[in-house]
Amino acid sequence: MEAVLITVAAALAIAIPALATAWAQSRIGPAVAAALAEKPELTTTAVLMIAIPETMVILGFVVAAAILFR
Amino acid sequence: MIIEMSKVRILGPRDRLPDVLRTLQDLSLVHLAAPAAAVGEPLSRVRLAPAQERESRHLRAILGDIDAAVGELRPSGAAPGRVPRAAPADLVRWARLARRVRREAERARLQLAALEEEKALILKYQQFFSAFRSLFEAEARWPNARAYHVLVRGGDAGAIPKLRASLVAAIGQEFEIYTQPLATGEIALLLIVADPAAARVERLLAQAQVQEIPVPAAYGGGALSEAIPKMLARLGDIPGELDRGRRRLRELGQAYGDELLVARAAVYDRLRELDALPLSGVTPHAFVLEGWVPARSRPDLTKRLAAEYGDTIVVSEVSKEEWASQDAPVVLSNPRLFRPFETLTRVFPLPRYGTIDPTPFVAVFFPAFFGLMVGDIGYGVVLVGLGLLLHRLSKPNTLLRNVAEIIGPCALFTIIAGFLFGELFGDAGLRWFGLRPIAFDRHEAMIPFLLLAVALGAVHVLLGLGLGVASLIRRHPRQALGRGVSMIMIVLVILALLATVKVLPRSFFTPAAIGLLVAFPVLIVLEGVVAPIELLSTLGNILSYARIMALGVASVMLAVVANKMVGAIGSVAVGVVFALLFHLVNFAIALFSPTVHALRLHYVEFFGKFYSPGGVRYQPFGRWLPARPRA
Repeated sequence: MEAVLITVAAALAIAIPALATAWAQSRIGPAVAAALAEKPELTTTAVLMIAIPETMVILGFVVAAAILFR
Repeated sequence: MIIEMSKVRILGPRDRLPDVLRTLQDLSLVHLAAPAAAVGEPLSRVRLAPAQERESRHLRAILGDIDAAVGELRPSGAAPGRVPRAAPADLVRWARLARRVRREAERARLQLAALEEEKALILKYQQFFSAFRSLFEAEARWPNARAYHVLVRGGDAGAIPKLRASLVAAIGQEFEIYTQPLATGEIALLLIVADPAAARVERLLAQAQVQEIPVPAAYGGGALSEAIPKMLARLGDIPGELDRGRRRLRELGQAYGDELLVARAAVYDRLRELDALPLSGVTPHAFVLEGWVPARSRPDLTKRLAAEYGDTIVVSEVSKEEWASQDAPVVLSNPRLFRPFETLTRVFPLPRYGTIDPTPFVAVFFPAFFGLMVGDIGYGVVLVGLGLLLHRLSKPNTLLRNVAEIIGPCALFTIIAGFLFGELFGDAGLRWFGLRPIAFDRHEAMIPFLLLAVALGAVHVLLGLGLGVASLIRRHPRQALGRGVSMIMIVLVILALLATVKVLPRSFFTPAAIGLLVAFPVLIVLEGVVAPIELLSTLGNILSYARIMALGVASVMLAVVANKMVGAIGSVAVGVVFALLFHLVNFAIALFSPTVHALRLHYVEFFGKFYSPGGVRYQPFGRWLPARPRA
């Protein structure tokens, strides 16, 4: 039972931030696409903007790994 | 790094100002600035005389013509270096030449565009016209009849019998239908109707929303039978006309291209000379010029002016107390190995003078982070190949060359990390060659890898805070002190944490905690109440480096999965192909994701601690060159 709970906890630790990241990127993506249509020189900044919410899922992954390998 | 600048003041007799400006333009050393207002009452800024204003407007108009003509002709000759100064007669001649060549080139280019468009139109319909051509004999047999040319969609097999039935019902037998299938699957349909029945047929076609093929107006706009031969004949003429047009452009380029390039450089030079005049200050008898030069070039400037003008011109250095560092222009000068990384730092505006250029730090940490994330000998070797290929395909001082030169250190760190983690295309090295990790196996030891990533983060962020202190200490000592206290508190937090998890002896905990309690109020006094929030944000920044571990583990997992495909699929050959494809995908991800995240760690976590953008680019007053060499 404990193993199941640990696995579920690890899954939630990565799934919830992944959903949050997806939501954030879904908002950033169209805004970035619109900005790039007018100013292509912003490409690097745009890529970074899209990468910023990935912090959540990366930290989620770290927490999941910590739960599984504690 | 940002090189040291000196502010210089050049004084001399007023009548020598134009000559001195020309000498300075030839030297291309001084970034001119308007003289400080506090120099004295008799000093006034030079204003262009009406004749000079007219000349400036005239030169800009000539430049417009030259740029347009050069843009149209795209002369293949090498760009001229420094050109002789233009005499008034040259300017008059170039003005006429540029206007004439621009008109001719634009006319030729427009004709070429029109011909290409016409050719594309005819080619688009060529097959269709050819199909109708075979039906024209039938059209000729009906002298008093109307012909309709229609395209029937492919797959609509019942459409023609239906049309025939409708026509019989409407006008009896006073029509004929001829069809010709096209390679596209469509059907060319010719409908010939006796004149008296034409009105009823047109109504029928309109009701069925069947449209006739339009005949382009340029070919008479009337009957297709007359237009098609003209269009096909035209198709034969167009290539010759295109060749003549291109030859004309080439001839214009060969005849006038080089002269126009020389004219452009000379006109730019004269315009710059005129634009520099209002940056000079004058009294009834003297002039004063002020500007910045790289400190190492100041003796050279003094020597060259002395050699040319003797004692009549005085060059003196303006003391640093008289100018604000944010007004000084910035010129970056990094060692050859670090220079390609300026591409990554130039995403931001230039750093202010007196602050720190992050390029050398990026040149060390970016490849290190990238290498730790990818960490595979095999991928590193492939990356070396990619870098060499890009290097071969690119020209010096281009973005592609810089990327190739950035790939080199990244590949090196990837290979080193590959040896540390014992990875060669994932676990293939272990399976085939018994390759063992020198440090630890990322596949298994995630927690040590996480600690390594966060420790690197701590070093990187503390370095950023240290650079912030160094950059602020002269201009804003209080802020620098606040940044220093933050730095100490971060170190104390880390020591306390390490003591708690028993990496350090427990005895470290109490002094660290006391240190934190003492530093906290000092930080609030220096930085205000937001300081604790910033401190927490800095700790968050350190944790953000955990992404190095996350991406590294994801990379090795994908590589291991790729290797497992060899045994998992029935046929070994198919398994190997799938494994290679999977490695290719992993390599592509390894190129993109670690780059973006390594950049983010620099731009957000590192630069945020010390980078001060807003520097003015050093642009010495000099002769015009199409592509300026690096300073």
